[in-house]
Amino acid sequence: MNAAEIKNLSKNFGPKQAVCGLNMTVPMGAIYGFIGENGSGKSTTEKMICGLIPTGGGSIKLYGKDYTDETVRAKMGVLIEAPGCFPGLTVWDNMMLQAENLSIPNAKREVIKVLKTVRMEGAAGNKYKNCSLGMKQRVGIAMALLGDPTLLVLDEPLNGLDADGMRIMREVFTDVVKDGKRSIIVSSHLLGELQKVATHYGIIRHGKMIVEMTAEELDASCRTYVALQAADMGRAKRCLGLKYSRVEEDEAGYIRVYDLTTPEDVVTHLYQNGICVTEIKTDKIGLEEYYIDLMKGGR
Amino acid sequence: MESKIVFEKNPFSKRMKSMLRVDFRRMFKSLLLYILIASALLMPVLMTVMMAMMDGSVSVDPQTGAETVMQGPENTWQNLGTLPGGEAMGGGEVFMMCNINMMFMAVAVLICLFISDDFRSGYAKNLFTVRAKKGDYVISKTLCGFVAGAIMLIAYFVGSVLGGAIAGLSFDLHGLNAGNLFMCMLAKIFLMLVFVSIFVLISVAAKQKAWLALCGSLGGGMLLFMTVSMITPLGSTFIHVVLCAAGGALFALGLGAVSKVVLNRSSLV
Repeated sequence: MNAAEIKNLSKNFGPKQAVCGLNMTVPMGAIYGFIGENGSGKSTTEKMICGLIPTGGGSIKLYGKDYTDETVRAKMGVLIEAPGCFPGLTVWDNMMLQAENLSIPNAKREVIKVLKTVRMEGAAGNKYKNCSLGMKQRVGIAMALLGDPTLLVLDEPLNGLDADGMRIMREVFTDVVKDGKRSIIVSSHLLGELQKVATHYGIIRHGKMIVEMTAEELDASCRTYVALQAADMGRAKRCLGLKYSRVEEDEAGYIRVYDLTTPEDVVTHLYQNGICVTEIKTDKIGLEEYYIDLMKGGR
Repeated sequence: MESKIVFEKNPFSKRMKSMLRVDFRRMFKSLLLYILIASALLMPVLMTVMMAMMDGSVSVDPQTGAETVMQGPENTWQNLGTLPGGEAMGGGEVFMMCNINMMFMAVAVLICLFISDDFRSGYAKNLFTVRAKKGDYVISKTLCGFVAGAIMLIAYFVGSVLGGAIAGLSFDLHGLNAGNLFMCMLAKIFLMLVFVSIFVLISVAAKQKAWLALCGSLGGGMLLFMTVSMITPLGSTFIHVVLCAAGGALFALGLGAVSKVVLNRSSLV
């Protein structure tokens, strides 16, 4: 059984087609990285999964049941766009309201537990409107974690978090799915961070799913490259360009020679042409570059 | 690793209990409710005393020279309705419609802001994700509005009695009795359900647009406003109460169902 199974999902806003025949499968126990450009239909899809906007066609099944089934929906946690909190109430009061909405027994204990999880127990008495952006985001995640949800839908949960906040979130995500029953759908533009935790990926463009893959499949399809710095960078690049099909200079000032796993050939070639290599390493492109490459039509 | 997950059904009573607890707690923590109750209490006191002070004073139109003699209230119960052979407070041009029936419109402010706040803050997103049944939300909001409206009506009644006492007005019921007064208040309270159902429907349709909800509710309420004094006169009997209760229940059920459809068919964010 999959945590979420979406078939042929579509949604129009007037003449604009936001989601168009989208298919998506989120296995149980997965951290599903949902990636796409701005306006590609990620948030719309997530809102439809959460039942916040009516679908325009297709089916959404959560844990084998229709997404409108109240028993499944009661076990969902959500953070879409911004945490749904009343600015004039304290963090604690906001959390208690959601705990009561979920009819959680021992609500106080549960609220303390989730606030501790996101390291916000010290700020429970703060008014929500006085919290920083990062704190608000943590409150939103804490709220989504209330009631031990089986499916978390998080839209840009890492926005506004500091380095420590991101580390905590990574720990929270892996902790949530560790028993293999719970799943997380998380969309983020911070692809580097996403790559550290995601077990599955779905890339959406113009409302259509263009690629769905596991982290292992992504790893296998990511190009390897040799990155180097030479005494004369311009000459080195020209020289390598004559021999290898794809040579580029990256933002960090390294020359990258793609689809190579060992640097010996490159070093030998440059040495024979009288160019001295000062630094060299082999690496793989990350999710971010894979994604950019995909969007450019490189794959 | 794959293991079975048990999804438990949340019975209606449990769902409603938790939702009502949340909504009532929020409502009673809201400053707006207390402002409205305080206004409902103070307004009749100030108005009665002020109009009683103005009784008999003459105002002259500077252009035409026409003289107008101001008429103050003679009886405390004029704040609630028309006594046999008299007229209700606000029957004249000054302070027009300034009687207890104003509370039917005042409650619109509370309901519109209460509901639009849910959508504006994003609370509705959290709520509707975990609660698939939109009917629960409509019932809860209608009951909250109804209770708030009833409190405001009672506050206005108390304010009227206080105002009458301070201004030294008569408490004579002109042939009516305390039972009629009680039935009149009860009928008004039940009639509040009709107005609340309309305001809830307009508010859930307008969602985060509080201004639209307010304009729509005040406009919609105005259409029925003039009938309130006819349906709930001071000389109300048990029949009036039954009629208002039946009307309230009918509107709450009918418009509640429409509100539910609106929530089911429209975007909640």
